[in-house]
Amino acid sequence: MARPHIEPYVETSVAWKRMTLPGFPKGMRYKMLSFDTDTGACSMKVLFEPGFNLPPGMSYSEMEMFVLSGSLTVGDATHGPGYYFCVPAGVAMPAIVAPRGAQVLMFYNYGEPSFVESDSDHPNAERHRYSAVNAYENLSWTSTNFFPATASGCLVKVLKFDERSQAFTFLYCMTPNFWQDNISYHDCAEESYHIWGTSWMMQFGNLPTGGYFWRPPYINHGAFACKYGTLALGRTDSQLYNHFHFNPWTTPEENLERAASRIQHWKPELYNWVATGDHNHPVDFEYPGDHGHSHGDVPHHHGDQNLAHSHAGRARKVRRKK
Amino acid sequence: MKFIRNKRSREAERWFKQEAREQKTRYRKIVAEQDALAPKRDKWVDAFLERIQTRGFNVHADMLRKIPKEQIPKKPKRRFKVVF
Repeated sequence: MARPHIEPYVETSVAWKRMTLPGFPKGMRYKMLSFDTDTGACSMKVLFEPGFNLPPGMSYSEMEMFVLSGSLTVGDATHGPGYYFCVPAGVAMPAIVAPRGAQVLMFYNYGEPSFVESDSDHPNAERHRYSAVNAYENLSWTSTNFFPATASGCLVKVLKFDERSQAFTFLYCMTPNFWQDNISYHDCAEESYHIWGTSWMMQFGNLPTGGYFWRPPYINHGAFACKYGTLALGRTDSQLYNHFHFNPWTTPEENLERAASRIQHWKPELYNWVATGDHNHPVDFEYPGDHGHSHGDVPHHHGDQNLAHSHAGRARKVRRKK
Repeated sequence: MKFIRNKRSREAERWFKQEAREQKTRYRKIVAEQDALAPKRDKWVDAFLERIQTRGFNVHADMLRKIPKEQIPKKPKRRFKVVF
């Protein structure tokens, strides 16, 4: 299991824990929101105590950080609430100081939190993918551009968009008296932290300020309502499509099957091609070396290379006890 | 590059196991809380099924369609789970 379904979880009354992982200096506390038990990837709310000082360094995992309160001095610049960073694996950040303390959300996307002191990037780092923005002041609210769309009164600011998987990180708000009478599920995992405000979902009840969820794909959520407005940070791990329906009792398995069946109607040519034998491992010509499936012993071919082959056959080394 | 391979230290392994344990406890608590919410949820579901017949179901954005009574789903006999 990667990350289990954590919904709803309210962290406000939960105690802070000291960060004890190697590499991190004193003065960092955290609350775990969700944790991938396969990889260590996780989402945390983090408290930097006044005077916290992280020397220049890098992480082995891509990391996203959003400032909730207080301020952080990163190199020569000071950033307050609403500031968002996406730091690719191996990119060395300058020293990060919290002179008066700060609270942030931190997302280690592909491995457990790690920190290695360094003045320079790792040789494999992709610095061009680094991004940082003041989401409160320098981005505008837009309506959601997913079709079918959420009801009016749900607005977003996109902070990060992965062009290949279409995973994205976004601020969203629900205006006062927002409501939407349908049940939704997605093909992606979805995550949210309520920065301010309370919203309601028919399955889970109220999610207040400090409320959080990590929801795996195909799980029903909604109808939706929000009386006084909500500001939240959301993330997905791939494309978000709103599969709307009105049956409260369907299971994730039924929802998955319905989603697969619908692809037949949306993209019949593509569906037929993929469903035909030997076409189930297509290659993206922009990523020829990464064909995105686990290598079993089933013969297959990639894209338009008509040579069937298998990746099996490499004998595993067995370590014998002496 | 989203992740750079590295060897996990012993301290990190310990931390990893501890977090996995704590998450199991959190998960169980959430399931128990959500089970306790079942009577309220049943009422919310009844109200939802009523609203989509009278006011309408959000097909897309604010586009509403009233659902005829014969299309309203019936509660199956299996247990109604919301946390998976």
